Amino acid sequence: MMEVRYDVIVVGGGHAGAEAASAAARAGVKTVLITPDLSRIGQMSCNPAIGGIAKGVVAREVDALGGVMGRATDASRIQFRMLNRSKGPAVWGPRAQCDRTLYPVAVRRVLDELESLDLFQEMVSDLVLEGPKVIGVRTRGGITFYGTAVVITTGTFLRGRIHMGQQTGIGAGRAGEAPSVALAEGLEGLGLEVARFKTGTPPRIDGRSVDFDRVERQDGDDVAIRFAAYREEEVPDQRPCWVTWASDGLKKVVSDNLHKSALHGGEISGRGPRYCPSIEDKVVRFPNAPRHQVFLEPEGLHTTELYVNGLSTSLPIDVQREFLQTIPGLENVVMTKAGYAIEYDYFPPHQLRHSLELKAIPGLFFAGQINGTTGYEEAAGQGVVAGINAALKVRGEDPFVLRRDQAYIGVLIDDLVTRGVDEPYRLFTSRAEFRLLLRQDNAVRRLGPVARDRGILSAEQAIVLNDRLGQEERVIAWFRDTTLTPADVDPLLAEAGSEPLSGPVRAIQLLKRPRVRARDLLGASSVDVGMVEKDLATGVLTAVEVELKYEGYVGRERERASRLEEQSKLLLDHDLPYHEFVTLSYESREKLSRIQPETFAQAARVPGVSPADLQNLLLEVRRNRSEKCVGS
Amino acid sequence: MAAPRQVLADRLRLGGPNRSFLGSLTSVDVDTIAAISTGPGAGAIAMVRVSGPAAAEILLCLSPALERAPAPRTARLVDLCEPDGGEIIDRAIATYYPEPASYTGEDVVEFACHGGAIAPRLVLEACLAAGARQAEAGEFTKRAYLRGKLDLVEAEAVSDLIDARSRAFHRAALRQMERGLSTRIIGLREGLVRLEALLVHHIDFPEEDDPPVALDVIAEEAAGVVEKLDALLVTAPEGELLREGALTVFAGRPNAGKSSVFNALLGEERAIVTEEPGTTRDALEETVQLGGFPFRLVDTAGLRASEGRVEQLGIEVARRYLKGADIVLFCIPACEETSEEDRSFLQEITAPVVLLATKADLVEGYQGDSTGLSGLAGAVRVSAITGQGLDQIRQLLPELAYSELVDSQGDEPILTRQRHVRLLKTARSEVELFRSSLVGGLPPEIASTHLRPAETALEEVLGVITVDDVLDVVFREFCVGK
Repeated sequence: MMEVRYDVIVVGGGHAGAEAASAAARAGVKTVLITPDLSRIGQMSCNPAIGGIAKGVVAREVDALGGVMGRATDASRIQFRMLNRSKGPAVWGPRAQCDRTLYPVAVRRVLDELESLDLFQEMVSDLVLEGPKVIGVRTRGGITFYGTAVVITTGTFLRGRIHMGQQTGIGAGRAGEAPSVALAEGLEGLGLEVARFKTGTPPRIDGRSVDFDRVERQDGDDVAIRFAAYREEEVPDQRPCWVTWASDGLKKVVSDNLHKSALHGGEISGRGPRYCPSIEDKVVRFPNAPRHQVFLEPEGLHTTELYVNGLSTSLPIDVQREFLQTIPGLENVVMTKAGYAIEYDYFPPHQLRHSLELKAIPGLFFAGQINGTTGYEEAAGQGVVAGINAALKVRGEDPFVLRRDQAYIGVLIDDLVTRGVDEPYRLFTSRAEFRLLLRQDNAVRRLGPVARDRGILSAEQAIVLNDRLGQEERVIAWFRDTTLTPADVDPLLAEAGSEPLSGPVRAIQLLKRPRVRARDLLGASSVDVGMVEKDLATGVLTAVEVELKYEGYVGRERERASRLEEQSKLLLDHDLPYHEFVTLSYESREKLSRIQPETFAQAARVPGVSPADLQNLLLEVRRNRSEKCVGS
Repeated sequence: MAAPRQVLADRLRLGGPNRSFLGSLTSVDVDTIAAISTGPGAGAIAMVRVSGPAAAEILLCLSPALERAPAPRTARLVDLCEPDGGEIIDRAIATYYPEPASYTGEDVVEFACHGGAIAPRLVLEACLAAGARQAEAGEFTKRAYLRGKLDLVEAEAVSDLIDARSRAFHRAALRQMERGLSTRIIGLREGLVRLEALLVHHIDFPEEDDPPVALDVIAEEAAGVVEKLDALLVTAPEGELLREGALTVFAGRPNAGKSSVFNALLGEERAIVTEEPGTTRDALEETVQLGGFPFRLVDTAGLRASEGRVEQLGIEVARRYLKGADIVLFCIPACEETSEEDRSFLQEITAPVVLLATKADLVEGYQGDSTGLSGLAGAVRVSAITGQGLDQIRQLLPELAYSELVDSQGDEPILTRQRHVRLLKTARSEVELFRSSLVGGLPPEIASTHLRPAETALEEVLGVITVDDVLDVVFREFCVGK
């Protein structure tokens, strides 16, 4: 039997796997990515889009940490929109419609740049253990890969079953791909807790059969904004999306056929996400909604196929076609792929540490949908963190953990390990206590230096980063130090509908006025821009503008965050005997011993632990410590 | 939505609601405590309460005839002995409440023993000898709070209920213990969670079918929350008065009959009354209930330029009382005219002034309101001898000092504690800032930074909240997800 040795082994080539492999390789350790089909690395299994509210920020965070997602998105995006542009910049969400074929091509190209990364095509069937530790994996073909750390990113493949109508579920990882059953059994055999989730996809249609006069065209906006900060990819041609609305006709078809739905006919037991409901769910739960929005999204530049966003379903094929044809514009539609629901194993994530390493199995890391999340961005975010920590484990360094006030990825992972999940987990801005700090414009500023200092940026990325941070510093200094006169700025103030100046004033004070833009102030005639570059990197000006404009509010958030940080300094031992803490409620004892929080702050976030329990926990911990001291 | 005490302490800060309890905890051991829970003095029955893990053991130790702990919550007649087979000390009713269904949430045993000076003392000493520790004041309630049996507001209400010295304060405390105030604050907090949810729908789901609720509608809802907070806060000044009583000060010339009316209202000869002007030197203070509301009545020395050292000091004391008064009862004998001095004296008084035309029995047909004094809160003809006007005073004073509470008839929760007032004021100012920033055109996510501090303030009164609370509201009310 063949045996191979690596430092880090990544199992799976989806969005989590690609990022984990890339992060480990950038950290300089010898890495292999093993997946059953190399041509599908970075496959977009659901809708062909990256980003959105909060998720778009995560995509930028992954990029700031040196990841793949930002570049692949820029290189494949065929429409870009900044969601929430009508609201404040703190909640802007970049979203890109991508070409389903170009995206994986770009992912593969970016991965191929990494010298210490190898790719290998095979299905992994088993883990190799030494005591409680994982030391490698075996493939179905009998090859053994040894490594210090193994990252599992198998998405929906673990005992995946596809449902369409009441046909018995078909074993599959994605439509047309075999599920991973042996590995699922192997993992369960390690004594890990397993549960089931479900999710679904909508049908796809042939664009040539759509009456575009009857649907609303939706074009993208500003193409200049980029997901990738360290490298400018060439952006393809742009395409529109379309919007139409399903109403009574569809409701009737769905209601009449509910009993045939796998989701509603009892075929599926796993829980699905509330925020990505199937059309069956929407019709049942909101019978009074007059209509439901349906987006027709292009699948790519070289195909007429459209993705019907909003109509995820597990109804039989004939019913799908029937309800599609009730929708304005789709009266004569030709369906190219039917929608389906998929049910899969996940491992409740309280079993993980913040590093995404399993508490019970040193050397084994989980990232992506296997942890009960949904979404490419959520998967990618976990992938980066797992990959970095796998590499740090090889190097014998402390884990890399992002705080809740530092990144949405930090919020995501802390939520997973502290609260667990009871439905597929998706990020929202409201999950973050400090959303003013976690913006798409400052992702590089927040995370670039951290990544650089932990050695997970490539040399090239680090240079671009330093350059960019330097630019930001100079622009900030300019706004703080420059005095502008009425003659300089009164014309542009008038244009912004702002009061004229009565005397000279600092640029930063003008920037804080509503509707006054940084670009205009810098560009005002006769203004000396000093050390500020003529050609600033994309996004630099926006980042500085938002930071300075809302300085007061941002500062207030920071202050709140640092107060919370105080509690994080109180560390809790891993081996606290929670069951002996009889002053805590039984429920709290159970939950705390399950989660094993690392800090008092984390204990405070465990659901079901009351304030009184926390007070008592504090006392018990003190007593526990003093007893230990006496004993030793 | 779960009651806050069951809800996760997501944003609990150390030094939050129960710091004072924590600070006063001297022992972290889970010991068993005991105390005589009834008041001292003669009485047929007294209660000795024992709480903690050893409660049942102590019961068995004191009642050798029992083979095992009696059935839960069932009264049982037992002979109590000193531990280790000592002599019988009392025959009592013992009731056993196993955890968690007890007042403290721990194992509790209550002995209803004979009252008086000796029996309860002996039973308590036997409990202590059997391993219990003497409970500190309020420790049973403290344990109930730490065990999550009461929220902080309820725990405070228990102590108020015990301390209550007027019907109105008792009623307020009872309302508070029955969760009247807690429920109100939970409702307000839910109002804020809903505001957050509306904004979340606005921010996190911009592409949904349901159009987001317009920002001005959200601002209106915020104004509604502010109004409700105001409705609670408006009870605060009077609510706080309930605790000590409204300071009601008698003032007027010497020999104006202040002490006579004072005594008449108290129903006892508390102050010495003579015909000699300047009899009252020091200030006399008594608490009295009028119409169920507490008043601190203060009789003071009459105001005049006096040579006497003692009388001068008395006048000084009177002026200090007048400064802090909630109501001033200005006494002028009905037969005398008001003077320029009276008018200038009254101008210095900021509290509402009621004119008492005293010794009304001496003058026929006198009209108390034709004194030419302005700005009076009321005028009453009163006679300590015939009792004329006393009922009128008893009715007038509550209306003056407790107008809000008299109107609300005790059904509404009342703020009686500085702690609640301070936190609710914080919440109010943050919600108002939220509203005004929204109206002023700040982006919603910036305005919303005022909501969390407002919620935290309310939570600090009782408990804490999770982000999930917000998302639950969003998912319950809107059809989201495309």
